[in-house]
Amino acid sequence: MLGIILYSGAVALIVIGIAGLVRSTHLFRAVLALVIAESGANLLLMLAGFRLGGAVPIATEGSFPLAMVDPVPQAMVLTAIVIGVGIQALAIALLVRVKQRYGTLERSKVTAAMELELNK
Amino acid sequence: MSNYLVLLVILPLLGAFLMQPLSQLLGSKQAGRKILQNFGRAVIAVTLTITYIVATEGEGVLQLPLSLLMGGFVVPVGINLYLDQFSLLWLVAIQVSLLILWPASRDIRQHLLLLVVAASSMGMALSGDLFNIYVFYELLAVATFGLVAQAPHPAAAVVSFRYLLLSAFGSVLALAGIAIIYSQSGSLNLAHLSAFVVNGETQFPLAAFLLLLVGFGVKAELFGVNGWVPEVYGVVSSRMSALLAGVISKIAVVVIVRIMLLLFPYPEASQALLVLGILGMVGGEWVAWHTAQRGGKLSTTLAYSSIGQLGMIFVAFSFSLTLGLFVGVALALHHLIVKSGLFMLSSAQLNRWQLGLFVLFGLSLIGVPPLPGFWIKLAMLQDLWATGGGLEQLAIALFLLATVVEASYLSKIISTQMVSPQFKSAKLGGNSEERRNLNLAWLYGILLFGAIFFINPLAETLHGIAVQTEDGELLRSVVLENSIDPLAGGEQ
Repeated sequence: MLGIILYSGAVALIVIGIAGLVRSTHLFRAVLALVIAESGANLLLMLAGFRLGGAVPIATEGSFPLAMVDPVPQAMVLTAIVIGVGIQALAIALLVRVKQRYGTLERSKVTAAMELELNK
Repeated sequence: MSNYLVLLVILPLLGAFLMQPLSQLLGSKQAGRKILQNFGRAVIAVTLTITYIVATEGEGVLQLPLSLLMGGFVVPVGINLYLDQFSLLWLVAIQVSLLILWPASRDIRQHLLLLVVAASSMGMALSGDLFNIYVFYELLAVATFGLVAQAPHPAAAVVSFRYLLLSAFGSVLALAGIAIIYSQSGSLNLAHLSAFVVNGETQFPLAAFLLLLVGFGVKAELFGVNGWVPEVYGVVSSRMSALLAGVISKIAVVVIVRIMLLLFPYPEASQALLVLGILGMVGGEWVAWHTAQRGGKLSTTLAYSSIGQLGMIFVAFSFSLTLGLFVGVALALHHLIVKSGLFMLSSAQLNRWQLGLFVLFGLSLIGVPPLPGFWIKLAMLQDLWATGGGLEQLAIALFLLATVVEASYLSKIISTQMVSPQFKSAKLGGNSEERRNLNLAWLYGILLFGAIFFINPLAETLHGIAVQTEDGELLRSVVLENSIDPLAGGEQ
């Protein structure tokens, strides 16, 4: 039951994030939606290695836990978080330039201005 | 020798890291600036030499496939690099394209980012496990965002941001697909996972394939997630467009094909690829025609045309048999040469000789004999006809329709160019950068024309590549040798 709740939570975060990406009218909110979606994907990956009642995967001399959580997804999630933070930082840096150029972060206004510039 | 494989990723990354300190040291002197300008090219030339040495083990004859388990870790724990003829073809394509299309600008940031592109795209082509494919995919994405953002166009920042959002959306989906596969198998190594599939121990759900397909499909200009293509090609230089359309999109296709062949050898997965390929082919070609009819920019028309061509490549790869792989690889290589040449020509007004070259590329794209495009399209139609299902017959009809549409918009572009003042003169127009691009277009034209005389040997080589790519048993035996036994679950 706990597994279903956790998996549902991860999928819900991804769905909420993607819905936010598609629906948000402000570009900064789109970045926040992306953060939510990435958290959902990371949680899903964490759950792939989760064992209910499992111990921390550290083997010391004389003690070797019988049930451990899988450390591989934890290492992968750590990498995914670092990549995610880098991309979010880059996204915000680009947003600063967009704001400086167009004076707004409203998606419709920025898109209209961009299309005008592309068709020149 | 297989240990040297890692240098193909490490050397360009190290080169990119050294660019900034080198520019501080050498940037103030004329000779130093020359060295900096050629530093990136030199790194790629070194990696190309290493590729030759690794692939032939220094003996002049291909010794493939080979596998590297880094750090001595056994499957499924360690990082695995795998080189076969399929990945070798794309490694060479990446490096040769970078050497040809390397920018002449003095801006070292562009050179730095291109070295990251080289490292990450070669890493994607070589990776034998899903998570490293994801990491290299992200690295490639970040480098391309930078290349787009620094383009000298007023809309570069917002176009790069929109590209970033779509690409990050794809990454989330790909990561979710990877999580589903890991939760079912406890492994991410492609050879190990395919052993599970062929032994009937598990069948990965179609949802995982769709997530990976759409996720990695963003770079491959897949239908539904290709909105970035016309915007990005509208702001970056012709060389960057040629690189993105010609090479980088193919690397994503290579990854998708490998994943489908090894992990999802089911008809449902092939059909999903076929349907998305058909939609991309029809949609891309139709919008390209519409753009050409209303006098839109040539780069925009070529961008939509590229989406249509990638759709055709997906249709070909959806038949994961030897003939399908053969046609897919041939189409992808043909698209690399023709589209790179067309993007080079799109940077300036064309004189009559250059327009002649444009016509040559256009005729091959349409499939007029004896140009290479004709033989590839003929093989594709035979492939579709031999498969013989209802969806395949629809694909034949739409494929022929797309070819007619292609002929229509290319003739419209040619007739528009013929009324330009430049056409009446035989002189070279434009600035020095545009003239260099036009010279590069001739290089691609010679490659395409030369291929007419080597159709049979080229077809035999590509057929050999297709046979080896399809052979999953060969991959499993090479990678899992000296590693754990996937059936016993313990060490041999």
